[in-house]
Amino acid sequence: MGIHSVGTSDAALVRRVQTGDTRAYADLVARYRDRLGRYALHMLGNREDAEEVLQDAFVRAYRSLARCDDPERFGAWLYGILVNRCRTAGARAARRARRFVNDPAALETAPLAGPDGRADWDDTVRWALARLPSESREAFLLKHVEELEYEDMARLTGAGISALKMRVKRAREQLQAMLKETERV
Amino acid sequence: MDDVIERIARHLRRPVQVDPALDGRVMREISALPTPGGATMVGKAWRWLRRPRQFTMTPLGGLAAVAALAVALLLFRRDSTSPAPPQVASRAFQFVLVAPRAARVSLVGDFNDWDATRTPMQRTGSDALWTVVVPLEPGRYHYAFFVDGSRWLADPSAPVARDDDYGAPSSVLTVGGGGDS
Repeated sequence: MGIHSVGTSDAALVRRVQTGDTRAYADLVARYRDRLGRYALHMLGNREDAEEVLQDAFVRAYRSLARCDDPERFGAWLYGILVNRCRTAGARAARRARRFVNDPAALETAPLAGPDGRADWDDTVRWALARLPSESREAFLLKHVEELEYEDMARLTGAGISALKMRVKRAREQLQAMLKETERV
Repeated sequence: MDDVIERIARHLRRPVQVDPALDGRVMREISALPTPGGATMVGKAWRWLRRPRQFTMTPLGGLAAVAALAVALLLFRRDSTSPAPPQVASRAFQFVLVAPRAARVSLVGDFNDWDATRTPMQRTGSDALWTVVVPLEPGRYHYAFFVDGSRWLADPSAPVARDDDYGAPSSVLTVGGGGDS
């Protein structure tokens, strides 16, 4: 995994939590907060949703710490919980969005809104990322932003390596196409 | 890697600072929870279950194990006997496990924080059948059966929790406003 601990090992902190030292969990939260927050933010595209999902993932991990078989790999285990929470939150958001669309045919033919000419690079990237299918966005972020190996990605997502490679490839192609499109505007 | 993709990736790799107040919110929430399973029976049993080991089994023993694993009917019924139904739209669900050799069985899941002491199942007249009725509000729940303080069984009559967070087998029950699955 691309998650590394510093100072007191994750395993030592996990063991302290398991023996009742709740404060040790605060160290784990602080250690992983920003790294996992980055993934959630890019995956969900919304800071409020990302922080809600992140908090939920930390609480779920605490409740289920007994099921963390290898405390040395707490980071990877926690990451897996977050990936699943993001999927659930993303699906929920998609369902919410669908409620506002009563005419799927009209949606199909509607022009796609893009960042306007004044948008900066950050807006452009976030716009393009949000338009990727969630599976492609997940694979792209894990591979190119979190810089995980495909084997680790497969363990986290439950998807096969070939499928993940295909999702990353498609994500790259779609991002390239979208970025080219914005350059023409 | 293509220049554009590399540029996007570099941009997205920039550190993101999450509101540090999140730490306090997490700690406040977990302060109300019991110590995670490390020191509990469930935690110890779970680690024991996940430890690799070799064992031998006679065909008869195998059949008995299969019979114990041959579970479960998930029956839905309205709790019509309740004189004062709760304000929220909770419904009673009966969980059933066929385990003729079990001495004790608990239902564990999201709805009871996976605490094996909170929802013990009762053996019915047939001896093989263990049941418990749990009121559940609409939502999606992961659950499993915890047998004799050592065996952790998913419910083969229910959908497998494909998005299980913890890498452990469990089942999933979705309680909706209308139908359930």
